[in-house]
Amino acid sequence: MMPDCLKRLRGLVLAFAACNAYAIEPVKVTLEFQPDPDNGRYVFEICARCHLPEAWGDKEGNYPQLAGQHVNVLMKQLLDIRTGHRDNPTMLPFVQERTIGGYQNLVDVVAYISTLPMAPIHSQGPWPDPDSAEYRQGMRLYQAKCSGCHGASGEGVDAAHYPRLQGQHFSYMKRQALSVREGLRKVDPAMTAVLDALSDDELEKVLSYISYLPVPREDLAPSAEWRNPDFQ
Amino acid sequence: MTDHDDISRRRFLQLSGATLAAAAGAPGAAAATQTKTAVGDAPPGFARLLREASLPWTSGARVVVVGGGWSGLTIAKYLKRHNPAFDVLLIDKHPSFVSFPLSNSWLADQIQLDFLSHSFFDAALNHDYHFVQATVLDVDRATRKVYTDIGFVAYDYLVLAPGIDYDYARIGVGDAEQQALLFQRYPGGFVSASELLTIKHKIRSFRGGTFLLNVPNGDYRCTAAPYERACMVAAVFKKRRVRARILLLDMNTGIKIEKNGFHRAFDELYKDYIEYLPSSEISGIDLDGKRVSTEFDEYAFDDAILYPPIRASRLIDEIGIANPQSPQKAANTDPFRYHVVGDEHVYVTGDSRGQPFSKGGHTAHSEGRYVAEVIAGHALGKDVAWRSPQTMCFSSVEIDPLQAMSIITYYKYNTQTKLFDFDRTHMIETWDVQGGQASLAWAEGMYRDLFYR
Repeated sequence: MMPDCLKRLRGLVLAFAACNAYAIEPVKVTLEFQPDPDNGRYVFEICARCHLPEAWGDKEGNYPQLAGQHVNVLMKQLLDIRTGHRDNPTMLPFVQERTIGGYQNLVDVVAYISTLPMAPIHSQGPWPDPDSAEYRQGMRLYQAKCSGCHGASGEGVDAAHYPRLQGQHFSYMKRQALSVREGLRKVDPAMTAVLDALSDDELEKVLSYISYLPVPREDLAPSAEWRNPDFQ
Repeated sequence: MTDHDDISRRRFLQLSGATLAAAAGAPGAAAATQTKTAVGDAPPGFARLLREASLPWTSGARVVVVGGGWSGLTIAKYLKRHNPAFDVLLIDKHPSFVSFPLSNSWLADQIQLDFLSHSFFDAALNHDYHFVQATVLDVDRATRKVYTDIGFVAYDYLVLAPGIDYDYARIGVGDAEQQALLFQRYPGGFVSASELLTIKHKIRSFRGGTFLLNVPNGDYRCTAAPYERACMVAAVFKKRRVRARILLLDMNTGIKIEKNGFHRAFDELYKDYIEYLPSSEISGIDLDGKRVSTEFDEYAFDDAILYPPIRASRLIDEIGIANPQSPQKAANTDPFRYHVVGDEHVYVTGDSRGQPFSKGGHTAHSEGRYVAEVIAGHALGKDVAWRSPQTMCFSSVEIDPLQAMSIITYYKYNTQTKLFDFDRTHMIETWDVQGGQASLAWAEGMYRDLFYR
């Protein structure tokens, strides 16, 4: 019999090894293949059936805003779903090679998506007023616990595959945060630790704050009526 | 109408009460009289109807979900996810699940039957709830009991997702015997698996002549499906070089969804096969003469698939919770919380729902995820904000390889008219291989979500 502390240590080592393995892969993939945006547009026709040609997500939180997201973040999600690090049964068949194709197609499609202009409107949390106590508490929590990786204005870090949070739907972020807590979405242990340490109430406030982080104007589509010309 | 309507809720309870009394050998003139008048020669086996069904039982609040379609399966799974303490029981009268979404692609040999068929056992095992095959006969909301053919089941919450029934009276066939014959000879293919198998056999063995299809009116199940089916049947005839004319009688004034896309498919792909006739309200069928009549015309056919207008499952009306104003006898429920008006322990979802949302698998799945949250929230005294269900639908028009169009839409509540309107409709009316592939991946993802881990 292995003593409990050893078992736990072995668990940690395995978890660390596994997390390193999938943390490195997206960057490696995006470096090894030369993206072809034309093919990316073609591949995106499969994705667009659900994510729609603009890839703006929905306010109900069923789909995230993909437009404007970092290439390495998008790649990591595709690979995480493929390997089961993200429990996403409805997306799983789409990321299989038989549907979307091999690494080249993945590289091409994420290159295409990252260039799409972002939605001028997205779903936001209940506290828009910067003078409200809830907004300020959300801001303090963000600065203390999130901005170190996700950036002071939620811009994320492409090379480290830290997601850009600006413009992301509040409803979607909330659903994902709960998925991480339930163990359905495996992420960097530091991220899990932050989510586990927040109370429900604190989580709501920090996500509300994030949902009001401004998106640089040049990254936004001219209007909510803009439609992806590649699909007209 | 059929004899279903005659077995009112009260009569069933009376009948079973008397049976119990008789079975228990209860003395007394009243019991004896009732046994004679209400039960007649009821076999002793009826006594089991009044016993409690023997089922696995856990300690938490019990949620009984009636109907293992897209709605019931989704709710059973997500109830357990949102509140693992719930004792969730799924009841369906069928032994296994067959998917109606994507069934048109199966009719055209683009997928195998096992792509569409799944086991309720897998669903229950993988998502930690119980499944039992039983037919629901009645519900007593006062004592919170569901009566089934294997005994009664007590509930804390009841979700009714029993789907639809055909309403043959609305195409001029009111006689119950004629309805039964019509159903068996020319099934519509939207309620049970046997209908689909029969339809496939009809298509496969058709030697030529007129093959009749129709589009019902009202809020029927899967708006695009009858048009898609016409394309899939035409594709098979074209591939096999069958000299056939598909007569598509639309009871509506025009194509109801993806209008440009379907017109283009009829013209470009199936010009020699599909004859599309809008505003063709079917008013009668001569079964032996194989003729169907509309207001102004009469059409002869060699074989047919007849999809009559539909209504909410008869169960809804039989247990007294249908909305008297609803032409399709849908449930009288709260439009946002889904519970029966005045009873927060009984919910109606899926195609028997009171709201006029598009009837289809994706809508039921999207709605079911929300309703599971509502019920889990109710148990904890927590409110869940309303969100629109999402309707998504793939329409295949070409085969080898499969090619499809698609549509996504949402709903918003109009506070002035107090009705739901469509909101944010997105259509991709060009068909391509990516659309076909996406339709297969979509279905596979849904089956994964509902049945597997």
